[in-house]
Amino acid sequence: MDNNALNIALPKGRSGDKVFSLFEQAGYGCPEIHEGGRRLIFENKENSLRFFFVKPSDVAIYVERGAADVGVAGRDILLEYSPDVYELLDFGVSRCRMSVSALADFNAEDKKILKVATKFPHIARDYYASQVRDIDIIYLNGSIELAPILGLSDVIVDIVETGETLRENGLVEYETIVDISARLIANKASYKFKYDRLTKLTKSLLAVIEKGKEND
Amino acid sequence: MEYKVKLLSTVEKAVFDLRELYRSYGYSQFSVGKFEEYDFYAQNKSFITGDSILTFTDMDGTLMALKPDITLSIIKSTKASPALRKVYYNENVYRAQNASSGFREITQTGLECVGPLDVYSVCEVIMLSAMSLEKVNSDYLLDISHIGLVPGFLEYAGADRESAKKLIEFAGEKNLHDAAILCRSIGMGEGHIKTLGKLMHMRTRLCDALDELQGLDIGEKALAAANELSEISENLSAIELGDKIFLDLSLGGDMRYYNGVIFRGFISGIPTAVLSGGRYDTLLRKMKKDGGAIGFAFYLDMLTGHFEEPEKYDFDILLIKNGNDPPAEILKAVKKLSDQGKRVRVDVSEPEGLKYEKSLTMGEIDG
Repeated sequence: MDNNALNIALPKGRSGDKVFSLFEQAGYGCPEIHEGGRRLIFENKENSLRFFFVKPSDVAIYVERGAADVGVAGRDILLEYSPDVYELLDFGVSRCRMSVSALADFNAEDKKILKVATKFPHIARDYYASQVRDIDIIYLNGSIELAPILGLSDVIVDIVETGETLRENGLVEYETIVDISARLIANKASYKFKYDRLTKLTKSLLAVIEKGKEND
Repeated sequence: MEYKVKLLSTVEKAVFDLRELYRSYGYSQFSVGKFEEYDFYAQNKSFITGDSILTFTDMDGTLMALKPDITLSIIKSTKASPALRKVYYNENVYRAQNASSGFREITQTGLECVGPLDVYSVCEVIMLSAMSLEKVNSDYLLDISHIGLVPGFLEYAGADRESAKKLIEFAGEKNLHDAAILCRSIGMGEGHIKTLGKLMHMRTRLCDALDELQGLDIGEKALAAANELSEISENLSAIELGDKIFLDLSLGGDMRYYNGVIFRGFISGIPTAVLSGGRYDTLLRKMKKDGGAIGFAFYLDMLTGHFEEPEKYDFDILLIKNGNDPPAEILKAVKKLSDQGKRVRVDVSEPEGLKYEKSLTMGEIDG
C-alpha cells in the first residue's frame, strides 16, 4: 500500500453515497467503488487516494486516531463524541436537526426532574445544562419514539429529518437543539503534514458545494 | 558499561537523548515522589490534561493522588529567587485521557523555566522544544500561537463573553462555517468574520506569517500578542529553525493558566501532538508566586512502537538440550556462541510463538 496515499473514511449508506459523489465531482473519484462487491478498501492508485466505508458513528474515531487523514461525519456525532479533529467544511447534505419531542399534552413548565430518552446523552446533557434544567437521562439504542408513549420518559432528544415518524406516533417536535449536516473532518497531524493536499481537497469540494447551491 | 544503541526502543533512546540535550543547556533534573495530596490538584484541576485523578486514602485518612502532572509540583516547590529555576524531569504520571481509556501510567519528560523570564528564556525553551522533536525524528513540526490573540480579536470585534468562548472552540476546530453563523447572529460585521476566518485558517511559517498578521485589523490586544510573537520569531531566526515552526492560531489553552506564547509539537506518522507547552505566568499568580514560567511536556508514550524496525527473530539460535548433555558443556557452548555475537536460547523443546534463525542440538555444535 502507498504510505503517502490520502486516506478517506466515508460513512456507509445513503449519506456516504451522497458525499462520495461530491468527491467525484471535485476530481477525487475512485472507479473501483462502482465495481461493488464486499471489499472494504478502495484505491485510486493514480491519484494516490484510498477510500474506506465505515459505520457513520466510527468515522470520527478513524480520523482522530489517524487511520484516516480525512472523513465525513455528521454534526450530531461530532457534538456527541467531541473528537479532537478539525472540521473543515459543511457539505450541506444529509440535513436534519437534533430536536426535543414529546407527546402533545407535555407540559414544559412542569418543574419536576425531566426524564429524557436519547441516543445522544452528551448533547442532551449540554442542552439542558444551558437551560438550567435538572434531567434524568435514559440512554436507549433505538426506537426512541416509544419512550414517551410508554411513559418511560417525558421527552426524547433525537434526530428529526422529515418529522413523519414523530407524527405517526403522536409526538410533537417542541424545540430544535441544533441543525445537523455532514462535515468534512481532518486529523490534526495529517492536516499539518499533508497541508497542501488537504487544502486543495477542501477548496475543490467547496467549489462543488458552491456550484450546487447556485444550481438549486 | 557501554550500551548498544540498537537495543534501545524509541522511548528509551528519547529519554537519554533528551536528558543529554536539557543538561547541555544547564537544566537540572527534578525528581519527585509519586503521591501528592489530592486537594492540591483539585484546586488546579483545569491545568491538568485529562479528566480524572487517581486517588487513595493514606493511613492517616488524608486523600492522596497519584501524580497526574509534574509542572504543578515544580511550581509548588519553586522559591523566590533573583535567578531562574531551570529544571527538566522524566517521570511517570497517572491519568485517564477519557472515560473509555481508563487510567494509564504515562512516561513524560519535559522542562520548566521559572523566575525572571525575558525574551531569551522564552526563545530558549521554544528552541529546546523544537530540538527535542528533532532528536526523535527530523520530520517534525512545531506550531506556535499566542493564547491572547484570537480572544483579543474577538473582544475587539464585539463578541460577548459567552459567544467568544464558543467562537474560540470553533477556531480550535478550524470550523469557520459554524463560527460565521454565530458571528452573524450576534451582529458581527462581515469584515470581522472574514478576519476571523483568516486567523483560524492561517498556517504559514512563523517567520513569514507575522507581516500578514500585523496588517490585519485585529485590535490593540491581538496586535500586542502578534508583536510578542514577532519578537520571538525574529530571535529564533538566528538559529535556523524557521522552516519547522508554523503559526497556527487555532491552538488553544486554558486562559486561567496560560498567558502568552503556546506551542504544540508533531512528528510525522504520529496522529496527535507529542509535545505541548507554553507560558503560564497566571498559574504562578494563582499560587501567589512572582515572576514568569514557561515549559513543555513531551509525551513519550506516544512514541511507543514508532520508528522501530521490527526484529526478524526473537533470538538467533535455539539450542535444544536433552537430559544427557552435561550442563558444563552447554554453558561453554552457549558462552562461545554468545561471544560470537549470537543470541542463544537454551530450552528443552521449541518455544511457542517465538522466531529464531536456526535450531541446534549439542551434537550439532562444533567443538
